[in-house]
Amino acid sequence: MIFHDPRKLRLARIIPWLIVAALLLACAPPQPPHLQQGTLLPKAKPVAGFNLINDKGESFTLKDLQGHWTFAFFGYTHCPDVCPTSLSMLARVMAKLKQQENLPRLPRGLFVSVDPARDTPAVMAKYVKYFDADFVGVTGEPEQLQPLTRQLGILYAKAAGDSGDAGYHIDHSAAIVLFDPRGRFYALFNVPHDADKIASDFMLIRNYYEASE
Amino acid sequence: MRLLLVLLALSAGIVSADDGLAVKNAWIREAPPGASMMAGYLTIENTSQHDNALVAVSSPVFSHVMIHRSETVDGIARMHHLERLPLPAGGSVDLAPGGYHLMMPTPAAQPTAGERIPLTLHFADQSELQVMAPVKKKP
Ligand SMILES: [Cu+2]
Repeated sequence: MIFHDPRKLRLARIIPWLIVAALLLACAPPQPPHLQQGTLLPKAKPVAGFNLINDKGESFTLKDLQGHWTFAFFGYTHCPDVCPTSLSMLARVMAKLKQQENLPRLPRGLFVSVDPARDTPAVMAKYVKYFDADFVGVTGEPEQLQPLTRQLGILYAKAAGDSGDAGYHIDHSAAIVLFDPRGRFYALFNVPHDADKIASDFMLIRNYYEASE
Repeated sequence: MRLLLVLLALSAGIVSADDGLAVKNAWIREAPPGASMMAGYLTIENTSQHDNALVAVSSPVFSHVMIHRSETVDGIARMHHLERLPLPAGGSVDLAPGGYHLMMPTPAAQPTAGERIPLTLHFADQSELQVMAPVKKKP
């Protein structure tokens, strides 16, 4: 091949390199997305089995975290400030995701009560459905709850301080945990929570997951 | 005339006292079914030259109203009961979700969104302010 135009000659020389670069890009593993609010775990963390009870009084196990994404928030119904604020926010995340056309299956919203003494299945059922008809409430005895929360780094403890007539308070992690469709601990959202940012982070996380699985 | 001014101020959602205190944007979060406690929010402005404090809140609708603070430290949300909420001279204090709030037991006749609930704020300098707080579903 003879090129009389030096520009064409230069182009001809770089074409093979462009092809190599494109092939490398296509084969390289997808890069973790840049998130606004969420934190991806460096490696999805498998969750060991647990046995909780849902708001219908049925058993709720690791199997129930599989087959769909799950956003989980840990709190208690006697908490009038932080918990309703977070659950309303999570309901707004769901409403935003419902508008996404390329999302065949919505994530599940899970409220894990760390106050089983007061939050019976019946109490939780009425409470969570108020925020979103599809939210599910679960709880369990401390010896059932702790194996799950410990794996996720979620902490809670009855508060010692004066709470007036309000009964006891429970100090608890304010983070929202995201489980992937294999039931693994995949990402974490710390406060302050913003529904728009969490919804757009979720789409990035999901696309990354689909590309890397 | 004075009554008319008070009514106008009430309808605008702003209530001010003679001594430089003003309350804005008061609202109470509707209790989800079964929730035993409710929370209320507002902004208090102290435009006066002297420090003041919110020392108590009362309402005919609630058996009692507590002043609370939620705080998230190292990712853990905690709630404290306050005896008084300082209102520095020339400052403005927000009672807002996830921070300072009023907390009250849910009455048997559960208030629902759209209702307006009278609150009386009692201050350290013995002054009082009346405010009508609408019940709302979401922030
Ligand atoms: Cu409180």
